[in-house]
Amino acid sequence: MEVTLLWAALTAFLAAYLTLRLRPFDIPNRPFDRLIGAAVVGMFTGRLAAVLAAGINPITNPGQLLLIRGGVDTMWASLAGFATLAWPLRKNLRAIDNLAPAALAALGGWHAGCVWRSTCLGTASDLPWAWALPGSDVTRHPVELYAAIGFLAGAFLLTRLALPTGALTGLAVAWAGFARLLTEPMRPSIGGGPVAFYVAVTVIGVVLAAWSRNLPRWIRPSNSP
Amino acid sequence: MRRMAVVVSLLAAVAACSSNAVEPQTPALPEIDLATFQQTMADLERPAVVNVWASWCLPCRAEAPLLQAAHAEYGDRIEFIGLDFNDSQRGARLFLDEFDLPFIHYFDQAGEVIADLGGFGVPRTYFFAADGELVKTHNGVIDEQTLALQIDELLNR
Repeated sequence: MEVTLLWAALTAFLAAYLTLRLRPFDIPNRPFDRLIGAAVVGMFTGRLAAVLAAGINPITNPGQLLLIRGGVDTMWASLAGFATLAWPLRKNLRAIDNLAPAALAALGGWHAGCVWRSTCLGTASDLPWAWALPGSDVTRHPVELYAAIGFLAGAFLLTRLALPTGALTGLAVAWAGFARLLTEPMRPSIGGGPVAFYVAVTVIGVVLAAWSRNLPRWIRPSNSP
Repeated sequence: MRRMAVVVSLLAAVAACSSNAVEPQTPALPEIDLATFQQTMADLERPAVVNVWASWCLPCRAEAPLLQAAHAEYGDRIEFIGLDFNDSQRGARLFLDEFDLPFIHYFDQAGEVIADLGGFGVPRTYFFAADGELVKTHNGVIDEQTLALQIDELLNR
């Protein structure tokens, strides 16, 4: 396994751990198992989707599934990760609410891991904090650090909010989509990034947060505000 | 006895599936030596991305669709060149049949060119400025963001 990816994963783990320490109440049992399980299922599904999209048969080329650096489909990875986290807790949305800030912080930590991987830079910029690749004169946005700051700020704010059941999860989903949407124009990509997906995630998150007061009773704990 | 018959039948089926029945459509790749490659780089009129691949290399298969997309987007401003390393002509041609990579590919069987360029492993990707200067070597599978960033660097030089 590539060492820089491992460091990025450890940074994500540390961010999630610190966030859970900030909000150490009402969290479901074995929260790290749940978060790491969701991340692993998300990565595997995203890689499988990328392999299939590339027209590669995963049965005849099973080694392809391990090549995370070969590309991971963002949409399927996110959906599978979220579903893995949410399904065992589907009858207690409050538990997902309590994990949501840690999940956002983990995403922030993953993006901050660009420092270990030397992959922070985006499009060219003259802003004072922009910096250049070694040996280059072209200064660039540290776009992955922007995303990391956005995710970590979102995680911190969410730990401070008291909202109806489901609203925190909705806001976390919306924040995740919006943070990626805002930074996408500064991120170098081939053929444009998955902008439509980030718009959809943002809208779904806002709708979920707005709808949270109308959640069915079976999904809401009785002490829900 | 019955078990033996099943095993023999399975082996026969596998052998039939892996026979050389499929004829590659891509023409044979031109061979290249170090002097020819250096001349090619010196004659560049635009920046170049040189990708080292081989048909036996699993990560190269993962990388191929990205190179295809990058060529579709930047092919008019960046020269894309493939270097097939330590491979057979047949394997290379079948690889190119499978992954439509519509740019020039050279056959560097002995690895003379890539030994001179440096780096390690397959795949690897070299980024050349328009004046033929080697700007960056990336070892291993290249991801979308890194490839796009390095291409942007070449275009902004």
